[in-house]
Amino acid sequence: MTTGLLLLTTALKILFILLVTVGAFAPMLVWAERRQSAMMQDRIGPHRAGIRLPAGAADAFRASVLPMRLAAAASGAVGALLLLLLAFAWAADDASWLPVSPLELTATGVGLLVLGGILDVGSKIHGMLADNGGNISLAGLLHPLADALKFIFKEDFVPPKADKLLHSLAPIITLMPAIAVFAVIPFSDVLYLEHWDAVVPRNGVVTGDVTAIPLQVANLNVGVLFLFAIAGTGIIGAAIGGYASDNKYSLIGGIRAASQMVSYEVALGLTIVPCFMIYDSLRLEAMATWQHDNGVWGICVLPITIAFVLFFTAAIGETKRIPFDLPEGESELVGGYLTEYSGMKFGMFFMSEFIEVVGLAAVATVIFFGGWDLPFVYRDGIDFPGVWDAQLASFVMGVEYNGAVEGIDATGIALAHWGVLALGVVGFLAKIVALIWFQLLTRWSLPRFRYDQMMQLCWKGLLPAALGNILFTGVVVLLGEGAMQMAVWSGTFVVVGSIVFFFLPALKRDPRVPAGAQPAAS
Amino acid sequence: MSTAGFLLFLVSAVLAIVGAVITVASMRPLRAAMGLLLHVVALSALYLTLNAHLLAVLQLLIYAGAVVVLFVFVILLLGPAGEFAGDSEKLIGRVMGGCSAGAVLLLTAFSLSRHDAEFGPVGADYGTVEGLGNALYRGAMAPFEMVSITLLVAVVGAVAISRVRTAREKASDAADAEARKLANAGGSN
Repeated sequence: MTTGLLLLTTALKILFILLVTVGAFAPMLVWAERRQSAMMQDRIGPHRAGIRLPAGAADAFRASVLPMRLAAAASGAVGALLLLLLAFAWAADDASWLPVSPLELTATGVGLLVLGGILDVGSKIHGMLADNGGNISLAGLLHPLADALKFIFKEDFVPPKADKLLHSLAPIITLMPAIAVFAVIPFSDVLYLEHWDAVVPRNGVVTGDVTAIPLQVANLNVGVLFLFAIAGTGIIGAAIGGYASDNKYSLIGGIRAASQMVSYEVALGLTIVPCFMIYDSLRLEAMATWQHDNGVWGICVLPITIAFVLFFTAAIGETKRIPFDLPEGESELVGGYLTEYSGMKFGMFFMSEFIEVVGLAAVATVIFFGGWDLPFVYRDGIDFPGVWDAQLASFVMGVEYNGAVEGIDATGIALAHWGVLALGVVGFLAKIVALIWFQLLTRWSLPRFRYDQMMQLCWKGLLPAALGNILFTGVVVLLGEGAMQMAVWSGTFVVVGSIVFFFLPALKRDPRVPAGAQPAAS
Repeated sequence: MSTAGFLLFLVSAVLAIVGAVITVASMRPLRAAMGLLLHVVALSALYLTLNAHLLAVLQLLIYAGAVVVLFVFVILLLGPAGEFAGDSEKLIGRVMGGCSAGAVLLLTAFSLSRHDAEFGPVGADYGTVEGLGNALYRGAMAPFEMVSITLLVAVVGAVAISRVRTAREKASDAADAEARKLANAGGSN
């Protein structure tokens, strides 16, 4: 690979990572958390920021809702009818009576369905705008932007007797490691530049002279260790911020932050040792590939299931969020080490906390949830169990199914290399969103611990449990293939069982709220 | 060494020296600790130029993540009251320090001029996790285990020495003292 190409691809990858994390996820996270807190505390929340539209806009939006909804319904109904026709034709295995070819029929049907969905969403947005007096507030999504503007223009106050240099240095030292974590996260499989619109074989072995571009900023031999090294330097930011503020509350907050993060870092490192032992590598991309090639996500292997619970607990402790937010416990320490910070410096602390949340979700996705791996998606395309998908595809394309048709794999639907990679990126981002949602759920479900309880949980709970789990993993690995199979079955059982027991009841309507009287999201 | 490698070496070497000077010259303890942090990070970049990736990460992990944090933690616990009041201006100490620094520089220059070491090529797995793992667990298993046991003993010893007496021990000690007092009081009567 030439140096120019290397530089170009690296710059593009860094840009992508920054756009996704700093540009999209962190502001969305701020918005989601504030919406949630406003809902729970029954106040207005981040709703006010908006773009004012000219007078009369509200009426125009109101008038457009009904026509748009009718158009959406019509488009969706016709689309569904066309797909039903296709299904009849496929069931009869006879496409001759159709007025157009199956391929055109599918394209039109799916297109009309998508159009109907877009029109429906549009009508809802128009209704919201009309209710809002014609102002674009997008459910408060513009609020993070207004927040950022406020941070920039607010007075940057430094206490008179504080150490100004260290006071300014602290937010930078906190923010940098939070972003640097993303350097080793693989967001999709390896890209073979010459084969970008061809179908690569399922085992991923391409022949000839190829340029392999790993979709990951830094392809490090030490992998996960880099994450811990970076996270370790992040501790210092909070500590010197507390010291340099010339404030006793800040100082106590800084001491609490440093001791808490040092303790939880030890536990954090030990909790994922079982993953190294089973994946046989420290590289994050090798971990994702192992899970893809073995067809099982790490979370479904019993030792890694245990490791996930321990890791997630320790990681929330490491990010200093509720229920472990003792360093900034406002009931006792005003704002902890953040007390004397305002303006963009506070904004940087704030930002780094949310980027850490995204980073934690990304790391957990790669180690425990297969990274870019999606069920039924392989390197050569989509393949459901059985051959029905290949038969359907050949029927739609209007060719005879004989097990080896151009563009159709023997048992599935072939996809070009770039399509598979794009699907991987989408899957990776979807998993990150799910894990962020889980973290927000935790944040609002649990009360803050006492400091000694938190330390006991770390040193007397997580640490021995992690060591025991390492021993257990060693036994499983030594016993060989049969024990591994047992671990996969029991891990899957535990995961499915906990989803059924913990999450399905949450879907039921709250019996205290009468039907149709859901609290207004304000 | 490639051009990029040489540039990295130059930048990180200068930063390492700057960090070291800040560490010894700063009057404020926390700034000195930040100087040490800069030095440690620059040193790990120097290891990168030598192809020792694992060592570079371990340097960050242990020195930046643990040692500097420990220093910072101690400075925080002492608080602003622990700041250095001022220098007592002992000339002889400064002269001796300067002389020894000069001597070290001279000796280094002398030995380098006599033995001009070339940068030799290294093996494929030099400095990788696999390379170190093989060297440690295949080549030096017994010494490694012995060192681990020694360290474990040292940790247990440190805990035993620094252990604070538990509430129950304090209560039983207090009860003993009370009993002695009572016995003494009985004896005097």
